[in-house]
Amino acid sequence: MKPLRIALTKGRLEKTTIELFEKIGYNCDEVKNKGRRLILPIGNNEFEAVLAKAADVITYVEHGVCDLGVVGKDTILENGTSFYELLDLGFGKCRFALATKKGYDFYGGYNTKTIATKYPNVTRAFFDDKNMDIRIIKIEGSVELAPLVGLSDGIVDIVETGSTLKANGLEVIEWVTDISARLIANTASLKLRKAEIEELQKKLETVTQ
Amino acid sequence: MKKYIKITPEGMKDFLFAECSAMDNICGKIENIFVSGGFKRVITPGIEFFDVFSQPCSGISQESMFKTVDNKGRLLVMRPDSTLPIARMVSSRLKSGVLPVRLYYKQAVYRNNPTLTGRRNEMMQMGIELLGVKGKRADIEIISTAVKSISSVAEDFRFELGHAGVFNALSNELDIDDDYKEKIRISIEGKNYSALNNLLDKLTPCKAVSAIRSLPSLFGGEEVFEKAADICRGTKAEAALEYLHNIYKDILPIGLGNKLIVDLGLVQRNDYYTGIVFAGYIEGIGDAVISGGRYDDLLAEFDAPMGAAGFAIDTDAITLKHLSDDNADYSDNPDILVFAEDGHEIEAISYVESLVKQGKKAQFSVLPTLEETREFASKRGINEVKAIG
Repeated sequence: MKPLRIALTKGRLEKTTIELFEKIGYNCDEVKNKGRRLILPIGNNEFEAVLAKAADVITYVEHGVCDLGVVGKDTILENGTSFYELLDLGFGKCRFALATKKGYDFYGGYNTKTIATKYPNVTRAFFDDKNMDIRIIKIEGSVELAPLVGLSDGIVDIVETGSTLKANGLEVIEWVTDISARLIANTASLKLRKAEIEELQKKLETVTQ
Repeated sequence: MKKYIKITPEGMKDFLFAECSAMDNICGKIENIFVSGGFKRVITPGIEFFDVFSQPCSGISQESMFKTVDNKGRLLVMRPDSTLPIARMVSSRLKSGVLPVRLYYKQAVYRNNPTLTGRRNEMMQMGIELLGVKGKRADIEIISTAVKSISSVAEDFRFELGHAGVFNALSNELDIDDDYKEKIRISIEGKNYSALNNLLDKLTPCKAVSAIRSLPSLFGGEEVFEKAADICRGTKAEAALEYLHNIYKDILPIGLGNKLIVDLGLVQRNDYYTGIVFAGYIEGIGDAVISGGRYDDLLAEFDAPMGAAGFAIDTDAITLKHLSDDNADYSDNPDILVFAEDGHEIEAISYVESLVKQGKKAQFSVLPTLEETREFASKRGINEVKAIG
């Protein structure tokens, strides 16, 4: 039987996922000593880890070249379309928030507001739900800069501790949604390899509560 | 200005040689099954009025359709699906005929997918529609044709079966608006347990809420029915569940064994499907290759209410999968190349015909000299060159 292929988001999510896999009894030495390799065996070849950037994890799973993936809910909300989201893994917790300069009356007045963000789809959906027209500007780097230099009225971004916001005189005026790492599965894979995937899901559930 | 004369638009592709023979082979196998089941082919136009597909239940978003206008400014689309045009056709042209009708199609559909996702925007699809009849016999006919079709092109597959009525009955018991219902449906479709729990936690606990909570996990073998019966007891979903269980038992003699899966979380396009729903999966393809079910409400949208069921097969995906399998042989080289000296052309062509009749792959050489024919044959790896005259 081919190993189940699982795409991991490189970096912090990868490390925590590997810790979980070790907790449920799989040997992950190869992944820990990966060097420059991008495809690595886990356990007794039951799994094969593929290391990728967050948005690419979704792409690989959607196309079915990886059976499973571990990726943040932020990436799913921004890029996701069709796959199964099986499990909230409970780590990598943070939140999407709408923030403005301290004391700014964001919902006041009749002018159309401008939002700077790295997550245009999340932002669009959030304001669509409010039936509110909004101008969105995509920013690649530090989004906090945009309202400070007068490019936007506010930002929609991931907030963990809020210290970057505070240091720049910004404040959260509304929480958009909670974020954490999720286990996702390709739709066909879940049907074709149901038993193996369910077994992994059950084992992971026991260590994530 | 840059002229795009040597490339195709994104999501489109040429099919060459082996790709075509593989596609013909796959489509041929499926077509045989349709034809021997008494289904008759129809072809619908490549361009239709937008209105045909804009029904709320169609499940086709307006941004996924290629649009243009006719010379009166009316909105047209490239056919994004074949079932709705067939419903249109049946409701107008076959309405007064003898029902039920068995139809099949083999034609491309067009979807304007987001760029850079590697998706195909033109897809060959085959499918059947059985219109003008409801009930278990029609459902079994559709299911068995679907199973035969997928077995004819793949050895290892999974066939999953569900019923749209289970979720619909349960969600109708809740005091929620359509938007909320849709959010719940999406989280079941994505087997997104955490989102589903969040949505359901906001509702007053009742039998239907706890039943909906378990829907995405209710998939597997026949044991699913026992679990589901307990969970759904006393709700309006019992009838649909019992119907599905009977269908499941009725189709056991097909002998699918563990290839058959029950999935009560199969709620795709739930405002379109009204009864049984199913999907088929093949190893190596990341999406369902076959999907279908019963859609009894659709024809009423065209003012011709009648029972209807059918399915579509993504024959392109199956073709590409076959081509990537090492053991598939679609080489199209002839065994013999026949060259005619001047004045012997028709004689040589007749000779080629006689070879072909004997079952050999022979071809008439159109090159001007025997030397050039030999050179071409060696380049293409054709073993034999025969000169006539």
